[in-house]
Amino acid sequence: MASRRPVGVDGPLFKQALLGSLNWLAANHEEVNRLNVFPVPDGDTGTNMLLTLQSAVEDIKESNAAEVSKIAKLASHGSLMGARGNSGVILSQIFRGFARSVEGKSSLTPRELAVALEEAANAAYRAVNKPTEGTILTVAREAGRAAASAAGDSDASVPGVIAAAAAGARAAVLKTPSQLQILREAGVVDAGGFGLQLILEGMLKTVEEEESFHVDATVAKAKAAQVSLDLPEGGWGYCTEFLIEGEDLDIAVIRRDIEAMGNSVLVVGEPELVKVHVHTDDPTAVITRAGRYGKLLKLNVGDMDTQHKRILDSEAAAGRPPRANGVGLVAVVAGSGLVDIFRGLGVDAIVEGGQTMNPSTQDMLTAVDGVPYEEIILLPNNGNVILAANQVRGLTKKKVHMIETRSVPQGVAAVVAFRPERSGADNVAAMKAEAARVQTIEVTHAVRDTRSNGLKVKKGDVIGLINDRLEFAGTDYAEVVNKALGKLGPDAYELVTVYRGQGASDDELASLESAIRSNFPGLAVEVQQGGQQHYPFILSVE
Amino acid sequence: MVTDSTADLPDEWRERYGIEVVPLKVIFGTETFRDRVDITDDEFFRRLATSTRLPTTSAPSPGEFADVYRRLARNYEGCISIHLGAQLSATVEAARVGAQSVEGFRVDVIDSQTVTMPIAFLCKVAAESETLEAATAAVEERVPKARVLALLDTLRYLEMGGRLSRAQTMIGTMLDLKPLLLVAGREIKPVERVRTRSRAIPRMVDYFRGDLPIEHVAVMHAQAPDEAEALAASLRTDLPGQDVAIGKIGCVLGTHTGPKALGIVYIKK
Repeated sequence: MASRRPVGVDGPLFKQALLGSLNWLAANHEEVNRLNVFPVPDGDTGTNMLLTLQSAVEDIKESNAAEVSKIAKLASHGSLMGARGNSGVILSQIFRGFARSVEGKSSLTPRELAVALEEAANAAYRAVNKPTEGTILTVAREAGRAAASAAGDSDASVPGVIAAAAAGARAAVLKTPSQLQILREAGVVDAGGFGLQLILEGMLKTVEEEESFHVDATVAKAKAAQVSLDLPEGGWGYCTEFLIEGEDLDIAVIRRDIEAMGNSVLVVGEPELVKVHVHTDDPTAVITRAGRYGKLLKLNVGDMDTQHKRILDSEAAAGRPPRANGVGLVAVVAGSGLVDIFRGLGVDAIVEGGQTMNPSTQDMLTAVDGVPYEEIILLPNNGNVILAANQVRGLTKKKVHMIETRSVPQGVAAVVAFRPERSGADNVAAMKAEAARVQTIEVTHAVRDTRSNGLKVKKGDVIGLINDRLEFAGTDYAEVVNKALGKLGPDAYELVTVYRGQGASDDELASLESAIRSNFPGLAVEVQQGGQQHYPFILSVE
Repeated sequence: MVTDSTADLPDEWRERYGIEVVPLKVIFGTETFRDRVDITDDEFFRRLATSTRLPTTSAPSPGEFADVYRRLARNYEGCISIHLGAQLSATVEAARVGAQSVEGFRVDVIDSQTVTMPIAFLCKVAAESETLEAATAAVEERVPKARVLALLDTLRYLEMGGRLSRAQTMIGTMLDLKPLLLVAGREIKPVERVRTRSRAIPRMVDYFRGDLPIEHVAVMHAQAPDEAEALAASLRTDLPGQDVAIGKIGCVLGTHTGPKALGIVYIKK
C-alpha cells in the first residue's frame, strides 16, 4: 500500500494519531492506575483518562473530515462530555485548547502544531483554579515547550515535533517527584502526567509508523478493534453498564465475550473490579454471560430516554410538591444507604459514583438536564469529581451552581442547609458555609505499601484520613478513629455521624461505637447505614 | 376569662387576672390525666421517658366547657374564651359547641391560631381591656401576630402525634435532624433544619431578631431549664426594658414536642 510522508497534520493524520494514542493508553492505563499517590482505593487516574480519551475519539471514528480543525473540534467536544476525574477534565481542556488554536485550519505545519500544543497547555492551566506544578499541567507545558523548540529548527518535521513533545513530557514526568512532596514520599511519578506522556507517545508511534510505511489500513483497524470503538449500526439498543467484582478477572477475555454481544463496548478495570459498558439488543444475555465471571454491581440498563424518565418518575414517586424557589438538587453519591439519605434530604437526582468510579461530565449533565428545575445546585461530594462537575456549567442551558463538596459528610451538611423557600444564590452561600464547617474522617485499608505525610503504611493497614489527608495508620478501626478524633479535638464538636460501609461487620461497628462513646463522652454518636464501598467507615464530625 | 391548659399560663397571671383554665388531657394507655391537674409537668416528662408507648392527647369536651361557662354565668354577663389553634386541636370547636349550650351568656370564642404562651399573652391583653368588646378586638388584632419559634430535639414526637409529616418539614430522611419550626397564622413551617443543637439556637435567635419589634416575648422549654435561662438572658441583653418570661411547656404540648424542646414565643408589634 502506498503511503505518504506527513508534511502537515491534516484531519486523517490527526485522527490516526488520536486512535494510536488511545491504543497506547489502553495498553498501559493500568500502569497509570498503579501510580495512585495515596494508598487509598480512590479514583483511578489511568481508567479516568482512558474513558475520557475514548469519549474524545468516539465521534471521530466515523468522521472522514479532511480538516484537522474538524477532528480537533470533535475530540474537544467528546472529551468534554466524557471527562472523568481531575486528570480527565484537564485532558479535555488540553483538547479544547488545541481545537481553539487550530480553528479554521485544514492542515498544520510543524510550527502550527507546536503552537497548538502550547495553547493546549495554556488552556489546561486556565481551567484549574490553583495550578499545581508537578502534575499533568507541568507535563503539558513542558511538552509544548519542547515542541516549540523543535519546530524552530530549520528541518522541523511533524514527527520531529511530536517526538520532541513526547520526550519533553517524559522528562517532565520524571521530574514530578522533585516538585511534589507527596509524590516523593510515595515514590511515584504523577499519574496524570504519565497518562499524557502515553498519549503523546501513542501519537508518535502512529506518525512514525505512517512515515516508515509500517501501518496499513488493516493493521490500524485491527488495533482499533482492541478498544472497540465500533458505533452501533442500527439503533443504540440498551445501554448496559455494570461492574464485575471478582478475582483474577481476565479483562481481555471478558472484553472478547462482551464484544460478541454488542457495540460501543468498553471493558476496563482491574483484576478485582471490571467496568463494562455495552450497547446491546439483548441485555439479559450480556448480564448472564458476565455473571459467570463474578458478582455484578451497579447494574444499569437503559437508554438516554429511560434514564431521563427514571429521574422524573422518582420525582413524581416522591410526591414532592414543586419547589417554591425553582431550584433542583443533584448529588454524586455511591452506596445504597447514602443514596437514600441524600434522596430523603430532598436531592432530586443522584449520579451514582464517587470514590472509585468517577462519573463523567456527561453523567452529571444528564442528571442536571433531567431534573425539572431550571436552576440546579450540584454536589460532587468527592475531590476527584469536582473538576468534571465544574464542566457541566458550560454544557447546559440551566443555571448550575457547583458547591465543591469533597466528601459525603460535606455533601450531607450542604444539603441539610438547603431551604426550598430561599433563592438559589442564598442557598449556595448557606450550603457552602455549612459544608466548610464539617470535618470528615475516612477509614479504609491501604492498597499498597507507602510513605505519606511522614507515615509508614503497609498494604492492608487500616488508615485514617482527616479531610482527605492521610493522618493515621493502625491495625483496627476503633484505634484509628480514636486517634483521628483526638487530633480534631473533640471539645470543639458535638456530634459524630458514622456512615457504615459495606466492609464493616456488626462487631466492628459495635466496637467502634463503644470506643467513641467511652473515649469521648461529650460527643453524641449517630450511626447510619451508608453502604459505601471501600471505606468501611466515613465519619462526619460537627 | 377562659383559656385552656396549653396556654402555659403562669400561675401568677391566673390569680392576678382571675382566668379560668380548662385542662386538655393526656392519655397513657388506659390512664387519663387532666393536664396540670392530675399530673405535673415533671411527672409527665418522667413518664414520657420511661413509657414504652407514646401518650396521646385529647381536647376538653364541649360539656366541660359548658360547665365552666355555666358557672361563670352566675356572676358575669359574658366572657372571652381564648384557645389553642384550631389547626392543632379540636379545643376551639369544643368551646364553641359548649358555649351554645349556655343560654343568655355571651362567649367570644377566639381561635388563637397558636399554642403555649402567646395564648397567655392574649389573655393578658384581654384582661387589661376595659370591656368585653375591647378585649375581643384587641385579641383579634394580635392573633395574626403571634409566633412560636420552636427547636425540637427530635421530630419523633411530632410525627407520631400526626401533627406534621416529614415531608412538610423537608425531613424525609433517617438522619436525626434538629428541626426549627415556626407556628404562625395557622401554619407550621420549617425555618431551618440543623444537625446540632448548639448551631440551631443561634439560628433561632437570628430569626427572632428579624421579627423585631415585638410586644411580648417568652422563652419556653421542656426539661431544658439551663438552656432556657441562657437564651432568656441573651434576649434580655438584646431587648433592654423588655420583660422576657421563662415558661415551661406543659404535658399536652410536651407530648408533641418531646423533651428538650426550646422555643422563643412572641407577639409581634
